[in-house]
Amino acid sequence: MRPRFALAGRAKAPVTTWSEVELMKCEWVRENIVLQVYGELADDARHELEQHVARCADCAAELKAEQDFHALLAQDRAADPTPNLVAASRMRLQEALETAKQGSVWSRLAFDPAIWLRQVRFSPALASAILIVGFAGGVTTTYKLYGTRPTNTAVVQNPSNPNPVPTEASITGISSIVQQPGTNQISIKYNTVATQEAQGSLNDEKIQQLLLYAARNNYNTGVRVDSVDLLAQKSGDMQVREALMYALQNDTNPGVRLKSLDALGNYVKNDTNVRDAVLRALVNDGNSGVRIEALRLIEPVKADGSVRGVLMALAAKDTSQYIKSQARTMLAQLPEID
Amino acid sequence: MPAGVLAVPLAVGDGARSRERARETVSIKQDPARGRMAGQERRIDDTMLIREAQRGSRAAFEELVRHYDQAVLRLALHLTGTEQDAQDVYQDAFLKAYKNIGSFRFECSFYTWIYRIVTNLCLDHLRKRNVRKEDAPVAKDADGGEYDLLDQVPDVRAGANPERDLLRRQLGARIAGALEKLTPRERMVFELKHYHGLKLRTVGEILQTTEETAKNTLFRATQKLRGALADMR
Repeated sequence: MRPRFALAGRAKAPVTTWSEVELMKCEWVRENIVLQVYGELADDARHELEQHVARCADCAAELKAEQDFHALLAQDRAADPTPNLVAASRMRLQEALETAKQGSVWSRLAFDPAIWLRQVRFSPALASAILIVGFAGGVTTTYKLYGTRPTNTAVVQNPSNPNPVPTEASITGISSIVQQPGTNQISIKYNTVATQEAQGSLNDEKIQQLLLYAARNNYNTGVRVDSVDLLAQKSGDMQVREALMYALQNDTNPGVRLKSLDALGNYVKNDTNVRDAVLRALVNDGNSGVRIEALRLIEPVKADGSVRGVLMALAAKDTSQYIKSQARTMLAQLPEID
Repeated sequence: MPAGVLAVPLAVGDGARSRERARETVSIKQDPARGRMAGQERRIDDTMLIREAQRGSRAAFEELVRHYDQAVLRLALHLTGTEQDAQDVYQDAFLKAYKNIGSFRFECSFYTWIYRIVTNLCLDHLRKRNVRKEDAPVAKDADGGEYDLLDQVPDVRAGANPERDLLRRQLGARIAGALEKLTPRERMVFELKHYHGLKLRTVGEILQTTEETAKNTLFRATQKLRGALADMR
């Protein structure tokens, strides 16, 4: 028999005697005691249960037994994963993500029939729309095959984009489909994956833009390393410096972060934004090599108030003994503040 | 990562996400009201990260992973019982989330969504294990009773109380044995409620069922456990 939770026990068939009422209440209480112990009963149901338990010895004993059992189970806690396990799992995942690809909109819609069926099941309007579109598509195809040969359709190319119409394989997605009202003209905007090549010097604005894009967005670590390496030569530019700071704080690869750090080294003294970024890396970076390099870079500005605060925290709590001792040494070299 | 250890109030820079997070961590520990506000900020933060991840940012996805991965690993570890299996579940769950993040429509919280993925993987694991267990060789003691080899490994940590440790391990082994007798679904509901403290409403959402069904399942699970552990009370 399925238990009747919460107040379900009260709205049953007519009950004639007081003892029958109490018996039903006992049954209801026993089914809900576990919810009471786990704090899952609604306020009114909890009140009712407490009232009943106060006058029913059997149910009070049952509640006590359930509470004791709960206390027994509470002695066995689910262990937290060790820091080593967390770190190892994260590293393994990062490696797998290097090669993993997100599913595209097309593949999700086209190749997952379960999604289509679910949508159809829950959306009659969508199902009707699909039927109508399918019917219209069928009619149009027939018309094109057997109807007038000279077609009215024409590919409208963006004048600024001289590329030819890409093949199906190079289409990554359709961003919009618009039919002109009252006509059979359809405008489709699509994205392609056609590889293009740009050549130029580092002073070329387009090259710089592509490098900045690569430093922030590219999935390939090698490409990010190369772009940061080249951008380092232009670190006098504020936009480049911002990209380097972004890479220092957000890039998943320690090599890229280290290169960004080196490129920013000359600006720690005069650019407070760079100094802040380096300090954040010093505190937050998971790689001790990056943190050690950051510590080396802030050495010339160790007298700065914010740097001093960070050094004190590192000297007290850093997980790396080397960083801890270096921070202590640097602090010892500073004059005392009264 | 030392971020959790070194939540120092840096008086530097502006708008640094890591520093905001460090501040958020501190505020949660200090004040429940501020903790709730920080929870809301966290959800907003998650929403932004999800949108970035949907646009293809792997860094944003990895940040999301760091918000949830310890809870995921804890659940997987307790359900599977071995670090290797827990790591496999963790890996599969987040890879699946990464590949399907584009289809996340904010109809539920990311928390519910990732837990749904993890619980489905764990349920598969439990079902497979139940099948495998029938053929698996079982270690038996001199009296013919089954025992867990891991229970025989002593705890050599400094400061461990051997007697208490033995009782704790005996209790843990008995409870683990009783949990093994539950159906995968009962085990999952009990796990999420008892060990992870989730509301039954959330459990229902995660397992794509109703709160009422979750209540029924919890009731059945506790009845079975009480029966199996009756001699321990």
